Amino acid sequence: MSLLIGMSFLNGLTLAALLFITASGLTLSFSLMRVVNLTHGAFYLAGGYIGLTVLKATGNWALAVLLGGLFTAVLALVEERFLLSWARGNDLIETLISLSVAIIIGDLILVVWGGNPKTIAIPKSLGGAVVIPVIGIIYPLYRIFMLGLAIFIILGLWVFLKKTNLGITIRAGVDNFHMVSALGINVTRLFTIVFGLSGGLAGIAGVVGGTFMMLGPGEDWRILLLTLIVIIIGGMGSLSGTIVGALITGLIYSFATAFIPQFSLFFLFLPVAIILSIRPQGLFGKEA
Amino acid sequence: MNDKLSLNIWKIFFGIISISLLLTLPWWSSGYVVMMVIRIMYFGMLTMSLAFLAGELGWVSLMQAAFFGIAGYFVAILQTRYSLPFPIPPLIGIAMATVAAALFGLLVIRTRGIYFLMLTLVLGQLVWALASQWASVTRGDTGIHEVYAPMLFGISTAESKTAFYFFNLIFFVGSIIFLAALKRSPFGLMLRGIRDSESRMRMLGYSVGLLRYCAFIFAAFVAALGGVFFVYFTGLINPHSVSLTTNVDTLLAGILGGINSLGGAILGTGILKMLDVWLSGVTKRYLLFMGIMFMLVIMFAPQGIVGTAKKRLETKRKKTA
Amino acid sequence: MMSRKKIFTLVGVFALTMGWLSPVHAVDEIRIGHIGPTTGWATIFGQQVLNGIKLALAERDYKFRGIPIKLFTEDTKADVEVMRTKLDSLKNRDKVHLIIGPSLGHEGMAAVDWAARNPDVPILVGYSAPEDMTMRKATYSLIRPGWTGSQVIFHFGKFCAKDLGYKKVIIVGQDYSYPWDQAAGFIRGFLENGGEKVLRIWHPVEAVDFSSIMAKLMGLSKEYDAVLNNSGGAQVVAFFKQWYQFGLDKVYPQILGQANVPIVPMLAELGDLALGVYSSLHYYDGNPSPANQKFRESYKKAFGEYPSVIAVQGYDAMHVAFKAMEAIDGKVDDPKKFINAIRNVRMSAEESPRGPFYFDKYGNPVQNIYIKKVVKKNGNLMNIVVKTYKNVSQFGPYADMAEKYMAQPATTRNYPPGEKEAYFREIEKYFGKEYVENLKKNNGWVD
Repeated sequence: MSLLIGMSFLNGLTLAALLFITASGLTLSFSLMRVVNLTHGAFYLAGGYIGLTVLKATGNWALAVLLGGLFTAVLALVEERFLLSWARGNDLIETLISLSVAIIIGDLILVVWGGNPKTIAIPKSLGGAVVIPVIGIIYPLYRIFMLGLAIFIILGLWVFLKKTNLGITIRAGVDNFHMVSALGINVTRLFTIVFGLSGGLAGIAGVVGGTFMMLGPGEDWRILLLTLIVIIIGGMGSLSGTIVGALITGLIYSFATAFIPQFSLFFLFLPVAIILSIRPQGLFGKEA
Repeated sequence: MNDKLSLNIWKIFFGIISISLLLTLPWWSSGYVVMMVIRIMYFGMLTMSLAFLAGELGWVSLMQAAFFGIAGYFVAILQTRYSLPFPIPPLIGIAMATVAAALFGLLVIRTRGIYFLMLTLVLGQLVWALASQWASVTRGDTGIHEVYAPMLFGISTAESKTAFYFFNLIFFVGSIIFLAALKRSPFGLMLRGIRDSESRMRMLGYSVGLLRYCAFIFAAFVAALGGVFFVYFTGLINPHSVSLTTNVDTLLAGILGGINSLGGAILGTGILKMLDVWLSGVTKRYLLFMGIMFMLVIMFAPQGIVGTAKKRLETKRKKTA
Repeated sequence: MMSRKKIFTLVGVFALTMGWLSPVHAVDEIRIGHIGPTTGWATIFGQQVLNGIKLALAERDYKFRGIPIKLFTEDTKADVEVMRTKLDSLKNRDKVHLIIGPSLGHEGMAAVDWAARNPDVPILVGYSAPEDMTMRKATYSLIRPGWTGSQVIFHFGKFCAKDLGYKKVIIVGQDYSYPWDQAAGFIRGFLENGGEKVLRIWHPVEAVDFSSIMAKLMGLSKEYDAVLNNSGGAQVVAFFKQWYQFGLDKVYPQILGQANVPIVPMLAELGDLALGVYSSLHYYDGNPSPANQKFRESYKKAFGEYPSVIAVQGYDAMHVAFKAMEAIDGKVDDPKKFINAIRNVRMSAEESPRGPFYFDKYGNPVQNIYIKKVVKKNGNLMNIVVKTYKNVSQFGPYADMAEKYMAQPATTRNYPPGEKEAYFREIEKYFGKEYVENLKKNNGWVD
């Protein structure tokens, strides 16, 4: 029993890691642009498939992750520049456009890679299980790697947002958008860059996630749903909120699947409903 | 002045023609056409429920199918498992869907815009998750079969498509009248006031939250009605009826036709359902086509077909005035 | 000038002669409709059946004795409401003589409902496997040249108990009716032939993170002997991957699989992870029979990849249709005759890639069931046969107790019970004390 509890905890933690990597991009684009990018799930899946192709071609997993992220970053840049900018200012229309792009990308993926489920092979160096010191549980190394990667990205984003000029500008834009544009900063370019960054994060998450789970039609919407749950719980536009939201979502999902599997999905939505009723902007979100 | 008169005469003329066509449909068209029109009717009610919220309140909901499905599931369960006689299952079904709307409504009244969209997406998925996982009640992904349409006045609407058609038609027209009346009433005016400027409405002393809440429940009621006819006509229900796909399809239909008019919602549903059947016989890239169409409509004609046509007529009339 | 009488006589004789000499075929075109999911997540289940049909049609140049055959294809998009609409259009708009399909479980149940209300259009089921379609809900115009979920797995349960010597097994599967059927069939075979306990763990149909389940399996490894993966598609891939990631291959023997686990497209994706997996089906891709080899090679040539059992369904269905057409001389416009002819078709091992089969009185095949294992031959993964059970009907070992079998409650996620004592108490109610006693005496089924 304690084995199950211990493993469920680790499972929840590592799932939260993946959820964080995926959700961080969405939170970033929302906080600055007030757009819920519904294409996010499609970016995850597209990134994953690109990574798969790169891996098959080069055999280099790290390269697959990087190129997967890069490709989706470009995709996101293009979407922002040519499609979303069209409806600049009308969040609802932008969101609906992102929905249509998600449908389009979803079908294009079917055209290129077909409908059979696919999986990305775990690199040898990250495969196998290790014994975790102190608690003595045997656990897959790859999942621990995901946790490490998430921490790395958290630190990276923190440094980026707090220490670099671009990061500071973005934070300023989040806090007071009009002031920033009044100061003459090229806001359009800022948006495009942020959107590209968020798309890139989604693509990286796609390769990382596709390696320990699988890629297939429908995965884009499943991931989008999980990401939205994370963000609603944690609060839109707050990175620390995303961390907390990811942890809550990941842990609840793991424990529910282990102990009450027939209601696991329902329990995933329970915290959402609770948060919505007592604090609709999320745990760390600002008032809407 | 003359223009307005002639426009009204056209409207009446058009109305009479379409009503007579609808009333005599089963006799001048094939069983296939009747079937398509029935489908457009029950899906049309679902789309109208979305269009009502979107047009009047600016609330784009991705969960209307949840109410559609809740009503459908109750009808299915009460009829197949408990053998309750008509009209108890649909009455309970619609009532339960309305109760669900009352509960979910509490969670969403304080939100608007994209946050509302996101929430309804998630809540719609919550209903889907229940339908899919609570197998002991809903039979999970298998769904519930053999939900037979009722006997009315001695005629079996399950056997006779014509009988079902009229059964559906009465409530379809009823729901249009209901929503149209709401739109024209002071209630509708207040809703549109909230859509245009919430702060102003608050300052004027209106209870914005209560108005929104009522609108949400009314819309769910219409969706639930559609769900009853859906389950009776198809004879079955499964989680797909409350899935994200169904919700997105409904949104597409509403946007295509035009969310600001009920006629637009029906038109959009009609086009989509016919495209559905025709297109998938021609190409496999049905989704791609739909996605692109959706995008183009949102970007270039966000008022939908009816909305854009109305605008054109307005500008034309303004020019000649 | 001929008299009027003579002219009339001549015209009459002429007409009679022409009528007598003109071709016997009242049909100038044979129309067949395929229905199934050809877009979306379930694409392979519809597309492969369609490919099988096309392959069979191409063998005869899309003609039957000179009459052209027109194939209509309709996409259900895995949506039953859409399927109902398409069934109506195939019948009313396209006026097809035969419908082949559908593929998914819930589609199948809805199709049998439609068939009951439209008895003048024969339906040859594609891949759908719920047993009630040809049991409790069977209707005359619906014939299934396929299989049921339980039919292909009864004997696998026996194999695992008797040949592999397992006493306690865990089944991890997707929570819907088809895996329920598979679990039920396995439990019957397993518990009636020496097994003691089967634990069922269900997960959402679309789950991809099995870490919690892996944790559970790890904890249960001391008590249970083996694990059976009762899913299909993407879930199988994720399950296998995480099985190895969590090191479960070290505490359990090779994974056992349900019917959809080691099918050809899965093998391509799983690679060596699938080696050693046991499963059972009415077809195995490694079958060296000439019929199977020819089928595989011509499919590969036409479609660029090797076929799975899904394609076999379409192929066999079309062949059954051809045989029936031959029996009635192409008069497909007489639905009653056509349906009767279909039900009387017998396929030999030379004609079908799966082996010989014929239809029982409910319209489901009596066929061979193969216990198979995944091995590597010449660098390619394939299923080879380990044991064959002949002439297995959808009632499996209960063939002479069909009514009693059907009198039982329908399968659910918990029924029949997975523990030996509870299970025996349950079957005693329906099969009788004598049956249970014989089981104990003979130590299982008599082969």
